[in-house]
Amino acid sequence: MESAGTKPTTTPGSQRFLAFSLGVEDFAVPLLSVREVVALPEMTRVPNTSSYFSGIMNLRGQIISVFDLRLRFGMKAEHGSETAVIIHNFSQLCFGVVVSSVNNVLSLKDTDISEKPDFHDMQANAYITGVSRYNDKLVLLLDVVKALRLEDVAVQKQAAKNKSAA
Amino acid sequence: MDVLDELKSLFLEDVTELLADAEQAFLSLEKNTENPDMIDKIFRLAHNIKGSAQAVGFSEIGGFSHKLESLLLKIKKGDVKLSTPTVTLLLECNDYLRASVESLKKGETIAVDEQLAARVINATGDQDHTDGSSNQVPDDIDLEAQLDQIMFNSPELVAAVTSSIPADQLFVDAAAFASKLVSELTQENLTPSPSTQSTSTSTSTSTSTSTSTSTSTSTSTSKDHAPKVRSTESPDESIRVSLSRVEKLVDNIGELVILQTVLSENRHQLPTQFLQKTITQLAKISKEIQDIAMGLRLVPLKQTFQKMQRIVRDTAQSLNKDVLLEISGEDSELDKTVVDRLGDPLVHLVRNAVDHGLESTEARLAAGKPRQGTIKLRAYHRSGRIAIEVRDDGHGLNPDLLHKKGIEKGLISANQKYSDQELFALIFHPGFSTKSEVTDISGRGVGLDVVKTNIEKLLQGEVQLETVRGEGTCFRITLPLTLAIIDGMVVRAGRERYIVPLTHVHESVRPRQNDISSHTGLGLVLNLRGEAMPMHRLARLLGDNSPPQTENREETAIVVRSGTHPYAIIVDEIVGRQQVVIKKLGDELANVKGMSGGAILGDGCAAVILDLNELMHQGTAKNKPVVASLRGAA
Repeated sequence: MESAGTKPTTTPGSQRFLAFSLGVEDFAVPLLSVREVVALPEMTRVPNTSSYFSGIMNLRGQIISVFDLRLRFGMKAEHGSETAVIIHNFSQLCFGVVVSSVNNVLSLKDTDISEKPDFHDMQANAYITGVSRYNDKLVLLLDVVKALRLEDVAVQKQAAKNKSAA
Repeated sequence: MDVLDELKSLFLEDVTELLADAEQAFLSLEKNTENPDMIDKIFRLAHNIKGSAQAVGFSEIGGFSHKLESLLLKIKKGDVKLSTPTVTLLLECNDYLRASVESLKKGETIAVDEQLAARVINATGDQDHTDGSSNQVPDDIDLEAQLDQIMFNSPELVAAVTSSIPADQLFVDAAAFASKLVSELTQENLTPSPSTQSTSTSTSTSTSTSTSTSTSTSTSTSKDHAPKVRSTESPDESIRVSLSRVEKLVDNIGELVILQTVLSENRHQLPTQFLQKTITQLAKISKEIQDIAMGLRLVPLKQTFQKMQRIVRDTAQSLNKDVLLEISGEDSELDKTVVDRLGDPLVHLVRNAVDHGLESTEARLAAGKPRQGTIKLRAYHRSGRIAIEVRDDGHGLNPDLLHKKGIEKGLISANQKYSDQELFALIFHPGFSTKSEVTDISGRGVGLDVVKTNIEKLLQGEVQLETVRGEGTCFRITLPLTLAIIDGMVVRAGRERYIVPLTHVHESVRPRQNDISSHTGLGLVLNLRGEAMPMHRLARLLGDNSPPQTENREETAIVVRSGTHPYAIIVDEIVGRQQVVIKKLGDELANVKGMSGGAILGDGCAAVILDLNELMHQGTAKNKPVVASLRGAA
C-alpha cells in the first residue's frame, strides 16, 4: 500500500480516513475499514438485485459483491481511467464500492471534524457521520454500511459470529 | 480468546479423538477378552483424558475418569472379570464422557452422573478403597496410579504449573514433568527390574499422546481393499489447520491456475522456445499443486465407519441378534463436509440392516444359514465417485409383501402390474414400513425416504437398492468426492453467463418450431417426444424482460427432471462445460433467490451458479405452474 512507507503518525484523538470522489463531490471513509483498492475489474451482473448493485467480481479467487455509491446517490455512473473499487472489510462483511477516483489519506484530529449539519434528508442523516474541510473543499465522512443499507446483513453476520465464538 | 480457553478447546478436540479410540478398543476387547495390549491401550487413554482434564480445569471429567481408571486398573490386573455387562458399563462411561465433552464445547456446564459413577465404583469392588488409591506394594502400574494421585490431589500443583509456564508449552512441559517425576520415583522406590523398563516405556507413550499424536486403531475385522493402503504403523504426523485457511489457499491456487492458463494460451507469442517450455512446465506444476490443495479437504472414512461398530453392537444386542460387522475400504478419502453429512444416513442404513435386513436367529437357523448374521460395510471408488455399500445376508425384500403393503397404504393400485424394481422402490416412499410393529431401533417415524432425500439433497448422491430373495439386501450410496467442486454447464442468457449444475441437466435439446406451442395463460409448452412440459426463458426468469435476441436462431432448451415435475429452460447459448469450485456469495446476496453460489469461470470472470428449481419456484409463483407432468417422476 502507498501509505506503508510513511510512518503513521497517529496521535491520540486523531483518525485516518481514505478520501475519494464521487463525481465532483468528496467523501471519506475510515481507513481501518478499507482492505485494499483495486482498478475497476470486470464485473458480472446479478439478476434481481438493487439498482446500485454493480455485480460480483473476482478478487484473487474470492467472489465479492460490488456496489456503486454514485448510483446509490443518484449520480451518473461514468467509468473513467481513475474509476476504482474500494474493498471494504467490516469484521466478516466484505464488499467493494465503485468510486470515481481515490484521492488521498487524511489524518484528521477530532477538532478537524465538525458536527454534521442537520440534513433535511433523514437517510443522509444516518450515513453521514461528520464533515471536515480539506484544501478548502468540504469532505463528507461516510458510514458505508449504512449508506448501502447493509446494516441488517452486518448485524446478522455479527450475531452469527458471536454465536459460533461462544 | 484467552490462553486457558484456547487450551480448553484444544483439550476438547483431543479428548473427542481419544474417546473415539477408546470406544473401538472397548469393542474389540469384547470380542477378544484376552488381549492385554488393548487393556493397556484403554488404560493409557483413560489416563490421558484424566491428566489433561485436570490440567485445564475440567474437574468433573477428571474426577470421573479417575474412577473409571480405577476400574480399568482392576481389569488390567485381572481382579475384575471382563464380561459383556462390564463392557456395556464401560461404553456407557464413554458415552457419558462424550456427552460431557460435547456440552463443554458448547460452553454449557456439565452435571456429574452420580449414578453412573456409583456403578463404576461398585464394579471396581470394595477391597480397594473407593477411590482406588491404595498403599499396596507399588508395582509398575500402581506407580502410575500414584502419580495420578499426586496430580489429582494437588490441583495447586497443577495450577502452579499452569501459571508459571507459557501456554503453548504447557502440555509438553506437564508431560515432561510427569515423566521426570515417574523416573525419580522409580529410582527411589524400586529395585531395578524388568518392570522399571516397562514403566518408562508406557509412560513415555502416554505422555507423548497428550501432545496430540494421532494414534490409529485398526479393528480386528477390518480388511483393506482400499486402493491407497496406508500402514497403520507408520507415524504419519498431522497438524490441525482451520478450514478457512485451507479455503483461502484453494482460492489463491485457483487464481494461480487461471493466470497460468492465460500464459499458456499466449505462449506462442513468446519468441524463445525456452520460455515456452518453462510455461508448459509451470502448467504441470500448477495443476499438481491444485490437486494437492483440493486433497487437503479430504479426510478418511475411518472414523465414520468405526462408529458403526458400536451401532451394530447396541442394535444387535437389544434385538437379541448375533451380528458381525465387516468393514473395508475405510481408508477411502472424502471431503470433510461429505463425511460429516454422511454419518446420520449411514447410521440409519446400518440400523435398518440389523433390524429389518437380518432375520431373527431362529429364522436364520431354520433357513440353514449360519447363526451369526453378517453386515458388510464397504467403500470403494467407482468412476470418479465413491460408492458405499451396506450389505446384509438377511432374507432380502419380498416383492409380494411390498405389493400387499403398498396397496394397503394406498400407494399403488391393486389392478396394475408392477415390476419388482418398482415395488422395491416403495420402501423409499414416505411413511412406508414393512415391519408390522414399530421398534425403537429404526421405526422412529423417519424412514428410508429421509435417508434418500438427505443423500440426494445434501450430498448430491444417489441411493441404489439390490436385493436377492433369501440372500440379502444391499444399499449402495454413490457420492461425489467433494461438494466443493461441481461439473457445471455454462450458459448465456442476455449478456451474462451463468452456471447450471450438470446434475440438474437431464438433456439439452434444440426443439423444432412446431414442438413449441404457446397457450394463453399457460405460457410456452414444449412437446418433447410426446411428453408435454412447461418451458421458460432463462432471461425472463432472471428478471430480464427485453425481447429475446435469439428470435431468428434455433433455440436451445435444457430439460430438468430433478424437481417434482420436469420442465424446460430456454437459454440463449450453451457456452460449454466446466468444473468449477463453488464459492460463497456475500451475505448481502442471501435474500436473492435462485442462486446456490458463485464460481470463477475459466477466463477469471465471476459467475453465479443457478438453482433452477428455486428459480422456477419463484418465477412460477407469479404465473402458476400449468402443465402437470403426464408421467410422474416417482
